[in-house]
Amino acid sequence: MNHKEGLTSGTCRLSGQPETGLYVAPTLDDAVAALAERGREAAPLAGATWIMRAPLRQERHLFYVAIGQIAALHDVSVDDRNVSIGACATHAELIRGLAAISDCRALALAAGNAANPAIRQVATIGGNLCAADFPAADLVTALLCLDAEIELQGPQGRDRISLSHFLEIRTSLAPGQLVRRIIVARAQRRSVHVRLPLRKAGDYPVAIFSLAVTLNESGGVVGASAAVGSVEPTPRRWHELEAELVGHPLDPIRAAEKARHHSAALRGRDAVEAPGWYRVSVLPSLVRKAVHALREPHER
Amino acid sequence: MPIRLRINGEDRVSNSDPLSPLVDVLRDEFFLTGAKPVCREGFCGACTVLLAGEPIASCLMPAGLVADREVRTVEGLAPEGDLSPLQRALEEHDVVQCGMCFPGLVVTLTRYFERAEHPSRTDMKAALAGNVCRCTGYERILDAALSLVRTAETP
Repeated sequence: MNHKEGLTSGTCRLSGQPETGLYVAPTLDDAVAALAERGREAAPLAGATWIMRAPLRQERHLFYVAIGQIAALHDVSVDDRNVSIGACATHAELIRGLAAISDCRALALAAGNAANPAIRQVATIGGNLCAADFPAADLVTALLCLDAEIELQGPQGRDRISLSHFLEIRTSLAPGQLVRRIIVARAQRRSVHVRLPLRKAGDYPVAIFSLAVTLNESGGVVGASAAVGSVEPTPRRWHELEAELVGHPLDPIRAAEKARHHSAALRGRDAVEAPGWYRVSVLPSLVRKAVHALREPHER
Repeated sequence: MPIRLRINGEDRVSNSDPLSPLVDVLRDEFFLTGAKPVCREGFCGACTVLLAGEPIASCLMPAGLVADREVRTVEGLAPEGDLSPLQRALEEHDVVQCGMCFPGLVVTLTRYFERAEHPSRTDMKAALAGNVCRCTGYERILDAALSLVRTAETP
């Protein structure tokens, strides 16, 4: 089967709506070609957990190019310089691939606590990145604090950009352009990912906080990357808090006070599960919890 | 274009739209009504089935992505007319109330017991994070499931 055919035709007998088309791409080049040819009416499909809820958002594409069957896009490879993660690596694959990588602990925690076990089995890191309307993206928040880069693949070749830049342009990628892999540079750092769901597990979190720090020999913070998710429509770095952490030891109480002081920099979003003011108000507690977790056991 | 599926060990063919949720294909085409479409957002777990041996939310799985992959529903966990040891334990402990969540929950716990070397209450609760039960409060479900472990350990 080639992408000019796919699985489609006619009208769905169950819904009466025009049928969608689906092409299961065997290779990345095939996927890029199929998407480029179909233009804006087509979209890539990986784990499908976000796209299958598209009717609830009144969204619809006419053609999907499935990329989840491309084995290379599931690779999680680690060397001394980088962790390279294929765009279709699922949360479950991430958990297994990152189990022994202490400097990427924030990402492992994000993958292991997001959603629920059944969703983690199929939802992909690429989908988490590309779902621009999904504000509670655990993986995106963790990747922000780890200064991840995104490698795009398109008809014109490959391009590598910062995650922050990708979040700005992800809704305007050129036809045929898709996320190929995510690269996280190795570093001497401690990182953590904390979140506040309404139940102990299984809910979209009200707020997410990821923190990565680099310490000097006496335990002082010389570098800090802090990211906030689910509070605003898009996860983002919290530079004001980062500046307050650098030059000081890991002090959970002080960090929470600084988070409270700099909460005005954030505009909490209102949604059915929680109002915006509440999302912002819980952040100091999450910051305190995160900083506490980063301290060595004997320091607590 | 037909979609070839393998469901509970049998080769089947679906003529549904490839983006049809697997739960609808299972129920409407093949009359396997154990998996239930409730939230349709992957939260509640009532639609849980096994795909290539792992629990997934069939409400969020397009049928077209399941082609040639092994699907196992609650109906396929034991020979027809029989119950698996887990199902028997849940029945003997009189655990089921409304029944809405149970097919999905049984599928999740089946996979859990296939994989867990040392089943525990805490681990089972984590495994059931995606299976919402509004009736039972879970404790009797866990008691019944853990009775399998005690039975296995009894010399």
